[in-house]
Amino acid sequence: MRFEDCFRLLAERLKHDVIVTSAGNCSELWWEITGETERVFYLEASMSLASMFAAGIAIGAPERTVVAFSGDGAFCMNPGMLLVERQLALPNLKHFMVSNRCYGSTNDLAHPFGDFVDYGGMALAAGIDRVYAFSTIEGLAQGVDDMLRVPGHAFGVLEVEPLGRHLPSPPLDGPEVKFRFGRYLERTGGRPVFDAPLKIK
Amino acid sequence: MADGADKVAARIADVAADCGISLVASLPDGWITQLITRFASDPRFRHVSVNREESAIGLCSGAFLSGTGAFALMGASGFLTCIYAITKINYTYQIPLLIGITLRGRPGDHAKFHQSNGLYLEPVISAIDLPFIPIERADDIPALATAHRHSRVMSRPVVVGFTRALLRGEA
Repeated sequence: MRFEDCFRLLAERLKHDVIVTSAGNCSELWWEITGETERVFYLEASMSLASMFAAGIAIGAPERTVVAFSGDGAFCMNPGMLLVERQLALPNLKHFMVSNRCYGSTNDLAHPFGDFVDYGGMALAAGIDRVYAFSTIEGLAQGVDDMLRVPGHAFGVLEVEPLGRHLPSPPLDGPEVKFRFGRYLERTGGRPVFDAPLKIK
Repeated sequence: MADGADKVAARIADVAADCGISLVASLPDGWITQLITRFASDPRFRHVSVNREESAIGLCSGAFLSGTGAFALMGASGFLTCIYAITKINYTYQIPLLIGITLRGRPGDHAKFHQSNGLYLEPVISAIDLPFIPIERADDIPALATAHRHSRVMSRPVVVGFTRALLRGEA
């Protein structure tokens, strides 16, 4: 399916959830489609750690659904993340792995592993029960709510075409991402994140 | 030795709990076996065994954003694999984090394969301007809380390094 179509549909289904996007196309495309600046943590500097970062959020915010997006390049750097996710078994953590079979942030340089690796099979072998694979927009539209809304950790593979164009990064410096995101969580019922509460009169 | 090591582990756990840490992510080093066991069995903490040390950095950094106090515990060699994660995640986004490591390679460490840590560990910590507090004696253990507080004040990670003698309950 087309990468843009996939993310547009997910943006429609993820209106109220907390999201962590990994470096490259995931952050860039999510930003282009949504322009979201509060409940999305654009973790652009984190090869392979988006789902671990999201898991840390999910541990302290069990009332929220936390959605992580990893690229296939990032995933292949640290597939052992699946073992930690399985061990944690966080009911509110949903992890999408975007398989576009290229390094989208570096001019779509070919990423060869997706041609012969079964990412969903790896997740099943890691002991993760709820594994999804979406390769068509129709299938995603039909099945994604089950992955997102049924409680329980879930891992989903999104088979998409390479984006084929360069997108700008979200125009937010790191500390701004942190404060917008952290203040959003505080404001919407989360635990205090920062030492000084922000009180607007 | 085991009794002394257990007492030290208990004191470290007490200080960690008192400063609000409730999540500990670790990968073993032979020197911190008893400390990890302590955290894993102490109901004040959720202990997570990670697949690699960088995952501890990612997990604990995310935990900060949900208001969860976290401690990443690892050996010196594993810490050296985390430079990318620390400089990219914690420095870019200014996320505080308390990291505990073993001070491998210091005189008295008989493992030849850890001598590179003796040569390069502290210079690498210094090279990335990471505040470093050695915990060398039992009386130094309260400095763990100081390190945790300092990390939050400066919005960057702080590393505490445990010596072999301390962890064995001999110092």
